[in-house]
Parts: sequence; C-alpha cells; structure tokens
Amino acid sequence: MELSEYVQKGFQMLADPGSFDSNAFTLLLRAAFQSLLDAQADEAVLDHPDLKHIDPVVLKHCHTAAATYILEAGKQRADKSTLSTYLEDCKFDRERIELFCAEYQNNKNSLESLLGSIGRSLPHITDVSWRLEYQIKTNQLHKMYRPAYLVTLNVENTDSRSHPEISFSCSMEQLQDLVGKLKDASKSLERATQL
Amino acid sequence: MLLDLSEEHKEHLAFLPQVDSTVVAEFGRIAVEFLRRGSNPKIYEGAARKLSVSSDTVQHGVEGLTYLLTESSKLMISELDFQDSVFVLGFSEELNKLLLQLYLDNRKEIRTILSELAPDLPSYHSLEWRLDVQLASRSLRQQIKPSVTIKLHLNQNGDHNTRVLQTDPATLLHLVQQLEQALEEMKTNHCRRVVRNIK
Repeated sequence: MELSEYVQKGFQMLADPGSFDSNAFTLLLRAAFQSLLDAQADEAVLDHPDLKHIDPVVLKHCHTAAATYILEAGKQRADKSTLSTYLEDCKFDRERIELFCAEYQNNKNSLESLLGSIGRSLPHITDVSWRLEYQIKTNQLHKMYRPAYLVTLNVENTDSRSHPEISFSCSMEQLQDLVGKLKDASKSLERATQL
Repeated sequence: MLLDLSEEHKEHLAFLPQVDSTVVAEFGRIAVEFLRRGSNPKIYEGAARKLSVSSDTVQHGVEGLTYLLTESSKLMISELDFQDSVFVLGFSEELNKLLLQLYLDNRKEIRTILSELAPDLPSYHSLEWRLDVQLASRSLRQQIKPSVTIKLHLNQNGDHNTRVLQTDPATLLHLVQQLEQALEEMKTNHCRRVVRNIK
C-alpha cells in the first residue's frame, strides 16, 4: 500500500499520547469511520467536547490521514498483520494498534460494501412488470383476436439518478423464447456456483 | 356486414367491366404489389397506352380495386358478404367471381401488411446472455461478484435496436419467476373463456 507523507505525519501525531490521549484517539478514530460510512455525516463529526482542546488544524490533518488510510486498506483488503506493520512504523503503541484493528474489523463489511458499489457498470435491471392483453382491432385491421404481452424492465443507471424503463411487446411464443433463454442463463449460473 | 361503397368509388370501379378479365386480373396483381412496395405511376402510363385510355382512368381503376380489397380484408368480411357488396356494382358474373377470387387469394397477405400500420411499440426479437464475474475494480480489489450481461434485440418500425443490460443472480431468478407467471396466465380459465368467447 502506498501512502503519502501527509498520511504518515498524521498518523505519527495520532500515535503521540501527548497530542491525543486515549479518549481523544478513540473519538477521532470513530469519527474517521463515521465520515466515510455514515451517509448523513458532516463536518460536525469532529465537534466533540473531548476534542476541543486539540488544535483544529492537527485535528483535521489526523482525521484526513486516518480516513485516507482506511480507504486504501479497504481497497487492498488489508489483513491485520498489514495494518499492524504500518501502524508500528508510525510509532503506535500496542494498545492503539489493537484499538485500530478492532474498530477496522467492526466496520470492514460496510467499508467493502461501500467501495464495491463505486464504479461504472451497465444499466442494471432491477425489476420487471408485465401486462397481458387481448388485441381485438385497430383502425387498420378489425377482428384481430390475438393475445399479446407488454413487458417493462425497470432499469437503474449507475448514477442512481436516472431510471429509464425499457418496454416492449411480444407474443406468447416470443415470451416463451425470452423466458427459456433467461432460464438457461440461471441454470448456467447454478452450475458455475457449484464448481 | 356489407361494404359501403361511395359514388366516387363505384365510378372508379366502373372501368373494370370495360376491359378483358385478364386485364382485371393484372390490375389485381398490380394493386397487391403496390400495397407491398408502394405505388409506381409509370405502370399506369404503360397500361393506359396499351388500353387506349387516359392514365387517370387506369389509376382510378387500380386504386378502386385496391380500396375494395383492403376494406374487405380489414373487416374480414365473409365470401357471401363480399359477393353481395360487389353485386350492387352490376358487373357480370364472371367479373364478380374474379373479384371474389382476388379477395380470397390475397386477404391474408393484405391483413399482414395492414397489421404493420398499427401503433408500434418496440417488439421483442431475441436475447443473448453472458455470465460474468467481476474480480476487481478501481475502488475494491479481490472481488467475486457474479453478474449476467444481457443483449436485448428489439424491433421498431422496421429498425433493429439493441440494448445491453446487466443484472445480478437474485434478480435474474426473480425475472424468470415473474415472467413464468405471466405465461401461466394464458392457461387460466379466465383467459381461456375470453379467447373462446370473443371472436
């Protein structure tokens, strides 16, 4: 994992019991995780009375360093020994290393989930709705008498802001073809997961 | 149900008894060809010269015949009704038989052409799928994220359209389940009764 000098300096300050006592350390650590994982978190996350005595510039630096490190560790799927090694290099004492690793372990799943959801992908199908109708006539053609389906796929784009829909009509035979192919895909999926 | 023929229409068709039955048959062929491919005015001129009449007369004759055939096909009128409708034109029995044969021979195809005029939604053509497993991304390494990539082929107004989409295994199963239910609906008593009784 490659981390900048800025991050390293921040951690060195965090390691110092003179700058951050045990309580302050824990609070800052929690604040870092909260900023990343809580959708409602904002700058007020550092507004704790027990952090007031610390120089705000130092506070911001350490908070940013911790958040940066957490993201990089999450991205690389760092294990406990990787974390410990880096923290040791930053002069963390044993107790603080354990605290950090414990807090990281608690938040690991949410972190990985968040990181996994970032990125571009194809429009994603989320749901389907259908309508069965019996066509009787049009203004060009009377006495039609045939059933038809209208299928709508609900689709989500990665920016989660647009929800275009794809609608199409099909006959019964065509729907059978569609369902047949989707079933082939899911059977293939089942076989692949059993390997 | 009888066809309602306007005076103007009857006038146009009045040209038909004045020519040979082979000519009428030829006009019938031209009429259906025009329905398939669009009209071609040059044909009218050629025929007009051969028959020594104005090309307008030929055009009206063909158009009258076309309208007769399309209206009959649209309404899907019975043989008897067709014969009764044409009877009012006062044509010879031979001509009436010819017209009836033209109708019966071309009805199915004309109906197919007319069905293409309906308000058009994209319609399903086919589907291709592919299984993928995402192994890593810029923001997260060491993943195992299965997904299904689907290429949906649709037709609209003669244009071929493709949409590439993706879904996860759980949603795929859900899609299959929902659409199977849709297919099952056709077999229910309710739908069977409707199909049986509305004809």
